[in-house]
Amino acid sequence: MTALLRKPWLWAWLGALAVWLATATFTHGRGSAEVLSAALTFGAFFVIVALGQMFVITLGPGNVDLSIPACMTLAGTVAMKTMDGAASMIPLGLVLALAIGAGVGVINYALIRLLRIPPIIATLSSSFIFQSAAIWWNRGLRVKPPEALADFTTAKLAGVPVIAIAVVLMAVAGHVLLTRTIYGRGVVAIGQNMRAAHLAGVRVERIRAATYIMCATLAGLCGYLLSAFSGGAALNMGEEYLLSSIAVVVIGGTSVAGGFANVPGLWGAALFMFLLVTMLNTFGAGAGVRLVLTGLIIIGVIVAASGGKRGT
Amino acid sequence: MNAPGRAILLASTVVGGLIGQAALADTSDKRIALSNNYAGNSWRQAMLRSWEKVTGQAVADGVVAAADAFTTAENQVTEQAAQIQNLILQGYDAIVINAASPEGLNGAVAEACGAGVVVVSFDGIVTEPCAWRIAVDFKQMGKDEVLYLADQLPEGGNLLEIRGLAGVFVDDEISAGIHEGVAETGKFEIVGSVHGNWAQDVAQKAVAGILPSLPDDIVGVVTQGGDGYGAAQAFNATNRDMPIIVMGNRHDELTWWKEQKDANGYETMSVSIAPGVSTLAFWVAQQILDGAEVPKDLTVPFLRIDQDNLEENLANTEAGGVANVEYTLEDAQAVIAGAK
Repeated sequence: MTALLRKPWLWAWLGALAVWLATATFTHGRGSAEVLSAALTFGAFFVIVALGQMFVITLGPGNVDLSIPACMTLAGTVAMKTMDGAASMIPLGLVLALAIGAGVGVINYALIRLLRIPPIIATLSSSFIFQSAAIWWNRGLRVKPPEALADFTTAKLAGVPVIAIAVVLMAVAGHVLLTRTIYGRGVVAIGQNMRAAHLAGVRVERIRAATYIMCATLAGLCGYLLSAFSGGAALNMGEEYLLSSIAVVVIGGTSVAGGFANVPGLWGAALFMFLLVTMLNTFGAGAGVRLVLTGLIIIGVIVAASGGKRGT
Repeated sequence: MNAPGRAILLASTVVGGLIGQAALADTSDKRIALSNNYAGNSWRQAMLRSWEKVTGQAVADGVVAAADAFTTAENQVTEQAAQIQNLILQGYDAIVINAASPEGLNGAVAEACGAGVVVVSFDGIVTEPCAWRIAVDFKQMGKDEVLYLADQLPEGGNLLEIRGLAGVFVDDEISAGIHEGVAETGKFEIVGSVHGNWAQDVAQKAVAGILPSLPDDIVGVVTQGGDGYGAAQAFNATNRDMPIIVMGNRHDELTWWKEQKDANGYETMSVSIAPGVSTLAFWVAQQILDGAEVPKDLTVPFLRIDQDNLEENLANTEAGGVANVEYTLEDAQAVIAGAK
């Protein structure tokens, strides 16, 4: 029991559960299963980008990828326009989206490594280029996704969204990658002390490069799936993923200072974020109240989560 | 073509040429700049393209000497204020502004007026008295939606409201109009309200979240534009009856409406502001430079699409874009005359 209490991801899950129960109580249980199903769908998109962001943040202070929204927009735009609604082009679109993501990651890392620009500034400024490229590519016109792809992103298996199942599997892979591979251990070691990691034989720069590329590739994947899900890519589609990707990571119990990460918390935090907004909408709270409460509750969960960690 | 016909054609060409000459004499050496605060969505992209198309022709015809568009990168007040100061220094005769803030740019706008530059604001207007304003009656737009629903649904019922971006005055205005309409008609109740940020995916997410907790008999969805298709998707994912969702002139919304109309006679309406309003602002600026007397406050007409002109409007809307109208000099003169 005490071992469980010490788990940093516990608080995000408790928060999600509490918020869900509060909503269900308010509505006398009506529709609470549907709310959960919606939370799984939309939480899945959060988790895809947060998984990449988690590895980046774990690299240590100053490491963060702010180009996620622009990367999502660019990948979604190019993939949708290339596929142009043709089912036979779905694999090509996916490959393109992933390749664009990887390309974005390479550029980001090149700016950080070769030009020695701090990651925050490098990824923020590169995102202007990616966003402009997306505007130039299709001038904001919304191209419909292929029918089959759209069906896949909205399909359900015994009431559970297929995309959520896929992303849970992805999160399991992420968990194994973090805790059971040399790469994952290297990321954590670098986050705790880059110099010590280097002296211990961790190939610091190779791991950092791989991490930034992976993060951007996941953002490309998310852009691809989100545009398929919501009927086409829009220029502002990634906007809310900038802060949410970081918030989900931190609420999930990953240390914002790096060197300490966990994957289960990502899902807990993603569900929590969605259910929180749903709860406040259901209560009929005004926009001002809602934003203030969202801020306060997020702070509360982070404090609780870090309090739990201090206990270890 | 017979001879009299040709004579009439010739005469009209001469008259047309003379009108062109009249404008040419007065503003052909004038330069107009567009100061735009944001380009990151399809509406703004269409707005810029309309500007390019109409002013490009005007420059080619010699109506004005230049009509350059400038967009700030960050949608920041300070950035746009600096941009306006640059435009003053570059000697533009008129600046057409879509402003990041109604009050924040007033200092820079006053400077421009002081330097003898004509300032015309539209869509995102500025409150500085020396500037002209081409405003949208957003409140009326919201009210029109409810009045339409009251017409379609004499029984009334439960409504879901999708709002825009919290804290932006456009959102407050449209919502105020909607609530006013609900109070006046007295037969609707707004049972849920979410913020869709005028974005399809955000609206879809918010509606999907709140729907399970709402009563089963939602009869209408009032929107602010860009969010109708997302709402339809969210309703589609449940086994609820499709309510009347008011649309916002986006191509995906109109396409969906057309599909439903063909399949089961679905009826709704769609209303928004045409992105081409930038060209109306251009012609108003040109008229002011031309010496025309123009009232400081003008109102943009809505672009409303109804059941019977849906096909026509859909055909004229670029795939993936927004239904649009580009304004002519004559349209601008009519708007000016209407405001006097």
